Amino acid sequence: MRALTRFMFAVAVVAALSATAVGQPAERGVTPTEIVLATSMPMSGPAALWGTGVGGGVDAWLRHINDQGGIHGRRFRFLIRDDAYLPPRAVANVRELVERDGIFGLISSIGTANCFAIRDYMVETKTFWITPACGADIWAGMRERNKFLFVTYPGYVDEGIYLTRYGVESLKAKNIAVFYQNDLYGQQGLLGVKRGIAQVRGAKLVAQVSYEVTDAEVAAQALKLKESKADTLILYATPRHGALIVREIAKVGYQPTIMSTFTLLDPVMFALAGEAWNNIYLATYIPVPGMGDAKVDATLATLVRINPALARNPFNAAAGVSFVESFLEGIRRAGPSLTKDRVVAAMESLKNWDGEVIRGVTYTPESRQGINRLFMVKSERGQYTKLTDWYTYPRKF
Amino acid sequence: MTQLAQYLVGGLATGSLYALVALGVVLLYRSSRVLNFAHGDIATLGTFVAFTLLGRKLPFSLAVAGGLAAAALVGVLFFFFVLRPAKEASLLGKIVLTLGLALVLSGAVQVIWGTDTLVFPFPLSDTRVHRVGQVVVSETSLGTIVTGIVLMTLLYVLVQGTKIGLAMRAVAQSADAAQALGIPARKIHALTWGLAAALGGAAGVLLAPVVYLDPFMMLDPFLKGFAAAVMGGMDSLPGAVLGGFLLGIAESVFAGYISFKFKTTMAFAVIILVLLVRPEGLLGRVYHRRV
Repeated sequence: MRALTRFMFAVAVVAALSATAVGQPAERGVTPTEIVLATSMPMSGPAALWGTGVGGGVDAWLRHINDQGGIHGRRFRFLIRDDAYLPPRAVANVRELVERDGIFGLISSIGTANCFAIRDYMVETKTFWITPACGADIWAGMRERNKFLFVTYPGYVDEGIYLTRYGVESLKAKNIAVFYQNDLYGQQGLLGVKRGIAQVRGAKLVAQVSYEVTDAEVAAQALKLKESKADTLILYATPRHGALIVREIAKVGYQPTIMSTFTLLDPVMFALAGEAWNNIYLATYIPVPGMGDAKVDATLATLVRINPALARNPFNAAAGVSFVESFLEGIRRAGPSLTKDRVVAAMESLKNWDGEVIRGVTYTPESRQGINRLFMVKSERGQYTKLTDWYTYPRKF
Repeated sequence: MTQLAQYLVGGLATGSLYALVALGVVLLYRSSRVLNFAHGDIATLGTFVAFTLLGRKLPFSLAVAGGLAAAALVGVLFFFFVLRPAKEASLLGKIVLTLGLALVLSGAVQVIWGTDTLVFPFPLSDTRVHRVGQVVVSETSLGTIVTGIVLMTLLYVLVQGTKIGLAMRAVAQSADAAQALGIPARKIHALTWGLAAALGGAAGVLLAPVVYLDPFMMLDPFLKGFAAAVMGGMDSLPGAVLGGFLLGIAESVFAGYISFKFKTTMAFAVIILVLLVRPEGLLGRVYHRRV
C-alpha cells in the first residue's frame, strides 16, 4: 500500500512538472523578463560607417523600447559583435551568438558576402534572421527553407535595374559606367545595371571598373572611368571608396552624371566627399531623415537623444530602426506567450504595415520579401530632395 | 601618351608614400635586424594625435610636429621598455613583440578615437589641380611627392653626412664594436626607433588627406611599403626609395592597362621575380661573413 502511495505521488509530481513545462514553453533566448537579440556587423574596417550607424540605430531603438517597459513585460538585451566586414569572422560570431549566447533572433548582418557565408547556418539552426543587409536576391529560390527569415531591405539587382531605367528614361543616359566593389555586393549591383540596360533601349555599358575593399586609393580607377567617356556613372561602393572615387574623378576633370546605390545615402558622404557629393542621384527604400517626414525625423531625434554619436550617421541609424521594427511589431502581436511559431504567424499578418521608418511591409506564408519599393532622391548643397514617387518591382522570395 | 603620363604621375604620388613607409622599415632593420610590424600602427597613432591637435586649433605645422613626436615617443618607449628588457629574446621573438605592439596600438586607437572614417584637415586641396599639358596633378599629390622627396633627402643627408648618421651606420654594422669605440649604441638604437616611427608618422599625415583617416588606413600602405623594402633590399635606404616608387608606378600602370582586380597580385608577382633574380633586393648587398 505504501509502495502504491509512493508511486502515485511520483506520478503526480512528474505530471505537475510536465504541466508546468507545457504551460511555459521555453524558447531559446526568451525568459519571462527578457528577449535576447544580437547582430554581427562591421564595427571596424572599411565598412565601419555602416556598422556603427545601423548597429547603433538598432541598439538605441531597443533601448527606447526598454525605456517604455519593453514588450509584454520583456525587455531586450542586444549583443553586438564586430566582424570587420570579413565573412569568416561573421561566421564565427554568429555561431557563438547562437550556440553560446542562445539568442532568440539575429538582427541584420551587413555585407552580401557575409550574409552568404552565414545563410545556410541560420537556416539550419532555425533562428530568426531579420533583415540581413545584403542583396536580397541571394534569398531567391530558398522559399521552402526561409520560415524564420524576414527581410525589409531591397535587392541590389532590383535597385540596379531601377537606377539604370531612371538614368536612361529621365536623365537621358546613353553610355553608362559602373564603379563597383569586387565582391557579391558590387557584382549584384553590376548585374542589376546590365539587366536594366537590357530592359531599356538606347543605352550601353561602356565600362565596369572594380576596386578591392582593401584598396587605399582609387586614382587609377578614376582615370579608367574618364577614358570610358561614359556620360553616366553608377556607384556600388563603401562610403569611403564612394567618396574617394567622386573626388578623384573631379580631380581629373571628368564630370559624368553620378548615380548611386542607397548604401551611400548617409549625409556623412557630404563631409567625406565635400563638393563632389553634389547632384548625385540615389535610390532609397525609406524616407531620408531631414527630408520632411515627421515620423522619421522624430525617430532620429529619439535615437540621437539615446546615443548622440548617431547624429553623424543619421540615414544608417534610421535604417537600423527600419530593419528591426517589423519584428518588434510581430513580437507585440504574438502576445505574452512568446513562441517562434506565434511570432511567425504574427509577422505573416503584417499587410502593408507602416512603422516609424519602414513603410508598406507585407509578409505572407509564401513571401518573406517585406518590401519591394524604391524612390529617387538627389543630393543638393548638403541635403537630399525627393524626385519621384514609389517605384514597385516584382517580389522574388 | 597622355594616359601613360597620367598613370605615371598617380604611381609617383602613391610610390612616394610607399617609399616613406619602406624607409622606416629599412632604417630599423639595418640597425637591429628587427622587422617592425607595428610600423603602420605607430604611423596611424601619430596621425590621430596630429588630427586631435588640429581640432584644438593648433597651427598645422605644430600639430603635425606633435603627431610625429608622439609616433617617435612610442618608438623610443617601445625600445627602452620592451625590446631592451627582452634583449636576450631571439630575433623571431622580437618580431612577435612588434606584432603585439601593433595589436595594442590598433586597439588603443579604436578605443580612443573610434572607428569612424574622418576627414583629415590639410592645407593643400585634393581637388584643386595643376595641369602640365593634358596631365593633371592635384595640389595634395604634388605636395606628397615633394614632401616625400624632401624627407628622403634629409634622411639620406643625416645618415650619410653627419656624425649621428656615422654612428647609426656603425651600430648597424656591429653594435658591440661600436660600443667598444665609445658610441652610445643604446641611445643610437633608441634614436633609430624614434626616427623610423616619425617617418611612418609623416607617411600617415601625407596619406590621411588622400585616403581619409581611420584606424585601419595604414593596412594596405604598410603592406606595400614593406614589400617595397624587400624589393629594394632590406639593407639599402636608396633601395627602399626605388622599391617604393617602382611599386607605385607598376601598380598604377598595370591597373590602368591590364587589370584592377590583379594589381596587388601583380605587385607581389614582380617582387617574387626580382627576388628570384636578385635575392638581396634591387640595391641590397650580399654580406659575406669572414671567419
